[in-house]
Amino acid sequence: MASSLKALLVEDIKVDSMVLSFMLRRFHCEVTLAKNGKEAVDMFLEGNKFDIVLCDKDMPIMTGPEAVIKIRAMGATDVKIVGVSADDNAMEAFMSAGADDFVPKPMRLEVLGPMIEEVINRKNN
Amino acid sequence: EFRPRPPPRVAPADSRTSGSEPSRLAMAAAALRAQLNALLANMFTTGMVDEQFQQLQSLQEDGGSASGFVAEVATLFIDDADRIIADIAALLDQPVVDFDKVDAHVHQLKGSSSSVGAQKVKLACMHFRQFYEAKSKEGCLMALALVRSEFCDVRNKFQTMMQLEQQIAACGPK
Repeated sequence: MASSLKALLVEDIKVDSMVLSFMLRRFHCEVTLAKNGKEAVDMFLEGNKFDIVLCDKDMPIMTGPEAVIKIRAMGATDVKIVGVSADDNAMEAFMSAGADDFVPKPMRLEVLGPMIEEVINRKNN
Repeated sequence: EFRPRPPPRVAPADSRTSGSEPSRLAMAAAALRAQLNALLANMFTTGMVDEQFQQLQSLQEDGGSASGFVAEVATLFIDDADRIIADIAALLDQPVVDFDKVDAHVHQLKGSSSSVGAQKVKLACMHFRQFYEAKSKEGCLMALALVRSEFCDVRNKFQTMMQLEQQIAACGPK
């Protein structure tokens, strides 16, 4: 599957960041890393555009759901935001913050693949 | 289900090739690969690693030029987990334990062990939760001992795995 999607990965745990980055690059995504919610929000404030955001929940300085609220409030309503967390309560927190989807950790390729394809199709249409 | 990597095809020995350096290296590589397969099979059947680890292996195998990815992730996990366990021990050594910080560290270790497929470490972290929620220092110390024990086991296996992979690579290409 060819893709030139711009992906923002918001993750403070290095192992998780490495694995998710590798998976995204397998789908030919251009990956930008943010170590917490504030860095992610700053990326958008600086005018960066992303097609998809994968976001962890519990991070220092600013959590994933807090970042999602701020990103959506900036008017970034087109970007697909996916919450990714091992926390049992994460799904509700992400969805009420304005995320499009939630995937429990660890992320699987067979789950990520269709998401990427959906974003590509939406972008091409 | 764990599928071991097949050993490389080795041409049958004949008077022209038996004893030659390439065939000795091929045989050495095959023996090392058998050791590696046995190690990996053991890690799966004992529940030390789960399908997430298998996914990382698949990512590496399907990735063509991505050899070393699993070793890189394993090394990062080992370094991170070492540091986190030391941090938790230091927190529990305080006269007044900050259980919220213990929670945060255990949560971090649970996340990274889950991402690398270190199942027993992940389960030990899940077992830990009841003790810091109950604010039991004694319970946390016992739980930390279990986490440390499971981590040492998987660390040793990962390190052996990486050594075998390096030795196999040193035998030359398939």
